[in-house]
Amino acid sequence: MRKKTWTTFLAAGLLISLLSGCSGGTLAQEPSPETSGEKSLVWGDTTFNAENGEPDINPHRDNSGWACIRYGVGETLFRFSDSMEIEPWLAKSYENTDELTWVIQLREDVDFASGRHMDAQSVKECLEDLISVHVRAAEDLQIREITAEGYTLTIHTAEPVPALIHYLADPYGCVIDMEAGVTEEGIVSGTGPYQAVSLVTDSGLELVKNENYWGGEPKLDKVTVRTITDGDTLTMALQSGEIDVAYGMPYASYPLFENEQYSFTSCATSRAFFGTMNFESPVTGDPAVRKAIALGIDKEGFVETLLGGNGYPAEGVFPENFIFGGDAVSTETYDPEEAEKVLEEAGWIDTDGDGIREKEGTLLTLRWLTYPSRQELPLLAEYAQSTLGEIGFQVEINSTADHNSIRTDPSAWDIYVSAMVTAPTGDPEYFFTYRCLDSSANNDGHYHSDELENLAEEMSRTFDSARRQELAVEMQQVILKDNAFVFASHLRMSMVADASVTGLTAHPCDYYEITADLDIGG
Amino acid sequence: MNSHTEKIGARRQRIRADHTRIRLILFLSLVIALLLAAVFAEWICPYDPNGQDLSIALQPPSPDHPFGTDRYGRDMLSRVIVGGQTSIFSALILVGIIAVGGTLLGLLCGYFGGALDAVIMRVSDICLAFPGLVFAMAVAAVLQGGIQNAVIALAAVSWPKYARLARSQTLTVKNLTYIQAAKLSGTSSLGILFRHILPNIAGPVLVTAMLDIGTMMMEIAALSFLGLGAQPPTAEWGSMMSSGRSMLQTYPWVVLTPGLGIFASVVLFNLLGDTVRDYLDPRNGQRKRRRTK
Repeated sequence: MRKKTWTTFLAAGLLISLLSGCSGGTLAQEPSPETSGEKSLVWGDTTFNAENGEPDINPHRDNSGWACIRYGVGETLFRFSDSMEIEPWLAKSYENTDELTWVIQLREDVDFASGRHMDAQSVKECLEDLISVHVRAAEDLQIREITAEGYTLTIHTAEPVPALIHYLADPYGCVIDMEAGVTEEGIVSGTGPYQAVSLVTDSGLELVKNENYWGGEPKLDKVTVRTITDGDTLTMALQSGEIDVAYGMPYASYPLFENEQYSFTSCATSRAFFGTMNFESPVTGDPAVRKAIALGIDKEGFVETLLGGNGYPAEGVFPENFIFGGDAVSTETYDPEEAEKVLEEAGWIDTDGDGIREKEGTLLTLRWLTYPSRQELPLLAEYAQSTLGEIGFQVEINSTADHNSIRTDPSAWDIYVSAMVTAPTGDPEYFFTYRCLDSSANNDGHYHSDELENLAEEMSRTFDSARRQELAVEMQQVILKDNAFVFASHLRMSMVADASVTGLTAHPCDYYEITADLDIGG
Repeated sequence: MNSHTEKIGARRQRIRADHTRIRLILFLSLVIALLLAAVFAEWICPYDPNGQDLSIALQPPSPDHPFGTDRYGRDMLSRVIVGGQTSIFSALILVGIIAVGGTLLGLLCGYFGGALDAVIMRVSDICLAFPGLVFAMAVAAVLQGGIQNAVIALAAVSWPKYARLARSQTLTVKNLTYIQAAKLSGTSSLGILFRHILPNIAGPVLVTAMLDIGTMMMEIAALSFLGLGAQPPTAEWGSMMSSGRSMLQTYPWVVLTPGLGIFASVVLFNLLGDTVRDYLDPRNGQRKRRRTK
């Protein structure tokens, strides 16, 4: 007994010292950037890991292109402006000579970090390797043949690919020197302001300045990227000064940094949190139920309170900084009374007074499938459980890391709520071909609309960007009219940095982050 | 002189026994109070534990909400009280299942021996070969989330302790003369098992079970913390701590109040288990008396 009491005290003492250690913020591990006359910066990131499809910085592998471009190693032929319009980067211009032929003029002043000069031949080698190893890139680009002459690159596609230039701006399109190749660790030689010197998957990356950079001298000598998968650990690392920039911090930690010692940079991205309705389900197969769900989710409340304002209530697929996004489309807004009316008219009535509606013996139970790795999703689930509960739904949440296998079984869920970057290349076609069509590999809810199929067919043939934008609006309106999907919000991406960090600006595409302008002051 | 020392020893033992009794009454009443609070949780809690009101989200403790509110504006005090119901009852049910099930298997193995004993004991060896909580996590992950499945997962890995304990006690008891007398007088095997052996091995099993309640409560909370136990909106201490984890620095009451619930009830059940052991174990006193000689 006495021994147990002592053990209890000892444990309490340990706990107190642990907690005070966490909050003290004086871990004094910060390597002084100025000691050796070198400017260095430490970048903490939750996403640079194998689980996220970013085991290294080889753009031809999985999603590693995101790491390659985000950390300033690689650059693409074209890039996106702040309003997600295409602009040249390693290329100077392009011309679409016929439906199947694209002639791209490259810059003449670009060298790889390896020292090799970039010309059409080196880009050709890179793209040929890309389409031979990267399945998604090969399907997107449909390249039949590439010819290289000086600084002129000509791409012949097997079928019309109106969004080809957008696809070339995808992170997988980072131009790397294939002669330098890919090291065992997954290091490549790109044209960006920094070059990688060491890499350990799930641990981090060391970068040094690329002395040959064509876009001006990078301001930092050294950048260390540290993988910190846990958001709370990331918070404490920034508090202790162990890192200078935090990418992927939980919203709940923001109040700790809202002072003059730190700075925030944020912007709207096309990452949407949305529900996919299951058309095979006896519950969500009913149009009235789908409409009631769309009417019963309080997007404003979710964004303002639960996300602490770190998002935007969504109307349709794309956020408002896209021409075809935001208010360009219209959908149901939160109206619980109207939702109740819709359900009643469709015969969903609570006859036994237990608060849950029924129709012909079927309970209005909504099996809500989601996953916890995106912090917003379980919040949305629990909030909707309450607001939909008030209009007579019984929401059963299944928040599981195993969602990818469950979503393929239409008998296991009614609504699948997930997060997705709906326009990673700024072009609207991707979302529809990926999620909504008969031919889509990820049309999990088995949605079908003749009207949508026709519009999608037209889009696949349309090169005129104004018409593509109109089609994007019409196609969104079709899926919103059917309530095949319900869009809750778009993410506002934020990075938190020490106040001495300058030149860090969030971008809507969420992958131009470590640039030549990034600097850390004294 | 000798008899004087013995008198002092006897007095000390009496005083100690009295202390044990007082402690037993004290802890037992506290545990009963805790159980009553859990049983009548719905009536005691001041607000609807699942009622959301975003306009009062993340309020610090105040007279209206003594434990504050969480990010959905739910009253934390109500959730801690109702969460106690989930946590305590699932721990009690779990301990009940493993204590009864494990003891029965142990009794059968110890009494009959043979192939049955060999098979059951090898299965228990397999269960004991894995670290308990890790094995439970694997089982819970296969069964999917939910407090019921968490209980099943933990039961699947925790029964061997009782089976082994009951088996070894049965092996000791079954060769004693009164069992042989019962056999000679024609009592059936079942009669011997349940009327003569079980009552004589119940003490250690009971003490082990009492001490296990706290441990199991922690393990259920751990599974819920990892998302393998209670699912929303069910209030459960472990899952409440998990969902508030990122707010430890900014809104600490969201994490600390369910933590306090776990801490207080685990300590209480452990103290009660300790006291029950002291109370039931006569050897404790004898050993101490010999030492005082």
